[in-house]
Amino acid sequence: MTDTFLIGMLVLAAGLFAVGLFGVLARRAVLFQLLSLEVMLSGPSLAFVAAGARHGDPAGQGMFVLVLILAAAEVALGLALYLRMARTADVTDSDSIRDLRH
Amino acid sequence: MTLSPALILLLVPSFALAAFMVLGLYPYTLRRRQVHIIALLGGALPLLIMAPLTGLCAAGHCLGVVPIFTLTVGQSVVALALTLDPLGATIGLTVSAIGAAVLVYSITYMAATSLADLRRFFALMNLFLAAMLTMVLAGDSIVFFLGWELMGLCSYFLIAYNTTSAESITAGRKAFIMTRVADAYLLAALLLLFLHANSVRLDVLIPASATLDATMTIVIAALLLGGALGKSAQVPFHTWLPSAMAGPTPVSALLHSATMVAAGAFLLMRFAPLMQLAPAVQVAAAVLGVATAAYGAMSALFQQDVKRLLAYSSISQIGFMMLSLGVGAPEAAAAHFVMHAIFKSLLFLAAGDITHGCVEGTDLSSMRGAWTRKPVSYVAFVAGGASLAGLPMITAGWWSKEAILSAVQGFGAVGQVLWLGAVLTALLTGAYASRAIMIGLMPMRDSDMPHAGNVHRHEAPRTGTIWTNLPLMLLATGAIVAGVLVTPIMHFLGAEEPHASAFSVYVAAAAPLLGVGLALALVFVPRLSEGLRNVRAISRKARKMPRRGEGGPQSRFVRLALWLNWGMRFDGLYQVMFVRPFVKGVRWLNGYGSAPADPVGTWPMLALVWLQQKITAPLAPDWFDKLWMWGAAGVVRLWALVRRVQTGRVRDYGFAMAGGIAGLLLLVWGTP
Amino acid sequence: MIGWFPLFLGTLALVSAALAVTRPSVVHGLMWLVAALLSLAATFFALGAGFAGAVQILIYAGAILAVFVFVVMTFDASPPALARERLRLKQAARWPLLMVLALGLPLAFGLWGGAVATGLAPGGRVPVQAVGGLLFGPWAVAVEIASFLLIAALLGARHLVRRDPPTDSERPAP
Repeated sequence: MTDTFLIGMLVLAAGLFAVGLFGVLARRAVLFQLLSLEVMLSGPSLAFVAAGARHGDPAGQGMFVLVLILAAAEVALGLALYLRMARTADVTDSDSIRDLRH
Repeated sequence: MTLSPALILLLVPSFALAAFMVLGLYPYTLRRRQVHIIALLGGALPLLIMAPLTGLCAAGHCLGVVPIFTLTVGQSVVALALTLDPLGATIGLTVSAIGAAVLVYSITYMAATSLADLRRFFALMNLFLAAMLTMVLAGDSIVFFLGWELMGLCSYFLIAYNTTSAESITAGRKAFIMTRVADAYLLAALLLLFLHANSVRLDVLIPASATLDATMTIVIAALLLGGALGKSAQVPFHTWLPSAMAGPTPVSALLHSATMVAAGAFLLMRFAPLMQLAPAVQVAAAVLGVATAAYGAMSALFQQDVKRLLAYSSISQIGFMMLSLGVGAPEAAAAHFVMHAIFKSLLFLAAGDITHGCVEGTDLSSMRGAWTRKPVSYVAFVAGGASLAGLPMITAGWWSKEAILSAVQGFGAVGQVLWLGAVLTALLTGAYASRAIMIGLMPMRDSDMPHAGNVHRHEAPRTGTIWTNLPLMLLATGAIVAGVLVTPIMHFLGAEEPHASAFSVYVAAAAPLLGVGLALALVFVPRLSEGLRNVRAISRKARKMPRRGEGGPQSRFVRLALWLNWGMRFDGLYQVMFVRPFVKGVRWLNGYGSAPADPVGTWPMLALVWLQQKITAPLAPDWFDKLWMWGAAGVVRLWALVRRVQTGRVRDYGFAMAGGIAGLLLLVWGTP
Repeated sequence: MIGWFPLFLGTLALVSAALAVTRPSVVHGLMWLVAALLSLAATFFALGAGFAGAVQILIYAGAILAVFVFVVMTFDASPPALARERLRLKQAARWPLLMVLALGLPLAFGLWGGAVATGLAPGGRVPVQAVGGLLFGPWAVAVEIASFLLIAALLGARHLVRRDPPTDSERPAP
């Protein structure tokens, strides 16, 4: 694959990251924000794998595996927290959960 | 140690000074005998040294100026010196002789005082003697002024000798303050001369005065005249002398009759060459002199107290000396100084002896019966009185007074007027002297008789002893006989005896005799004597001037006599002009009344506080302070704003983070 | 073929992700997320990274999303809730969109500018053996540390959702 091709893949990866960021910022329901975080994580994953494929380096996929592990851990804890919060707070509106402030 | 001239001259006052130091500072008790011995030594030794020195000077070997100490201060050379010239020798001999006589007299006269007081008395008398001799022998203005000031100090201490009497202390203070004011003039004159001549030596200053410009000469001469007037108790500085009679009789005899009060005349004699360069001042001195002489004589005529009478008499006689100096005859003044010293001290000592222990103190009525009580003293008093009056030819006073009158007459047109005044004064002098003498002949009233109830035995004065009689006799002899010395003195001092017309001599001879007649009239003419009795009563009891028409049929005479008795009310005038405003001012400064204490010190403070309120207080808080505090308040507002960033909302924090990353990316995108 | 095919699949993933983020209903969002992840896996396969693609399907789309699905069951999906979500999205879209554009455009255009020469050899397929050799070889310690992370997540999740047992005072009398 050529360099321009790689650049295109990287632009796509950036786009995935941006979309995920938009979701975190724009959605008020906590579950959607968690979902958007997953999308955000997929962006750099794509970037790693594409770069690894461009150069034929297994390190790209190795990084992808580590990112994946990170995502898994994060989802586990995140959803656990979500369930815990759902007992006492209104988790469809993250704006209402704002006691950690001045 | 070789006997250099400096040492000899220094010895003259040194013995008296040593006697003062021993009597004043010796820490252990001295017995009465020892005190007498030390005091006598201090009084006699200066005379014993002065006499040969004067003889030496008369023989033509005057020592001249003898430097004793030289100090170089920057560019100025301060050369202290003593001098022995004819004037100094004459006056110095007189002073030491009179001093010795008075000290001898005091030995028994002051027998009634306590030992401590006696020590103080003799110490101060010796200090005075030392000071006066220093002044007379001074060869430079610093030593001169030192002696002058010391004399004034001793006068204060001796007048206020009786420290338990408020009157004495007040009198001492009055004398000190008045003479101090005059001393300021003298100091100013000496300093001006020093600035001009750049030396303190009198033998440099006096010739250098010839190079002064006209105004400065008049100024310095006037200042010298002022200083002399104060010390010599002339009008207008005279009111202290009658009050100074509150001191003991020896003090009056030594200080306030013979020596200290004539020191002013001595000053003008010393600086005579300078005075002659300022004729205006000389004429003023002459006029003041004759005015004072007349004033003194008039006031003395109506005094009720013998010492006050003699005090006014001193004022009058020194007026004569001033007159003589004013017409340019300092030698005649010096001769009169010597004669006056003799008869005035004699009068004081005799009067003190006669009135000692009397009920009325020194009132004139104490003189009654002196002829029978105290014949020796009375004869001495008569001799002195006759000399004072200037009875022609037979008394010493006549010769010196005649010298003065002749000099005055030779002065020109003004001199004739002055001469007339002087002759009238001589008449009055004869009057009051005779009055005092005549009272001594009168028998005592029963109420005046001293008896056991009046005089305490253990305080009985020991008079009539050799110690008192010897000086009296010697002085009485001198009062009669010393007239032969007048011409030699004047020759010694370098002047010819002035010639006077026979007519003026006869008139001057008649004046004292007419004065005696006046005194007889005052005593024996009933209206006048009654008037005098009224005066006596009023002056002792009511102390207020009676209005017109009151006071009996001789009311005008009584009022005149009272006015003169009170010295033409100069005391009252000074009280109103000076004393009351001063006391009021001091009280005001001390905060009596509603004013704050020490307004002179408080007003600057109040002014400063007002300034501070007006000028600096509006500026504090200043712009910098305000800016700072505004900044500080701004930080609080900023914090309130910044706090609102902490919303607690996840989306907001995420937004902020994204914004940060976006910013970084934009930055990276901008750079290559 | 190898050039544009991954690009196409990547674009597919991107579109799916965009749709996933903007659905009012969670289930729809999840479905689109699945689609996005599967597209991504396909992209990996197209790039020759077979291991990555397999692992993506197995774990990401398989395990992680399964956990999501369990949680979604608690979500309120009634029509009023959906209407409310739609409204909220419309209201909140503006500023995040601008921010994302401000972030994404420099990123994209910055990338567009230059091709970075890294000096690495151009390659193609990376065999699984190479990846395994890497993970079990030089990167073994990193894998172990990642496993720590997983255990921590496991324990943490277990702890967070635990309901406390009733205390002795609350227990009913036996």
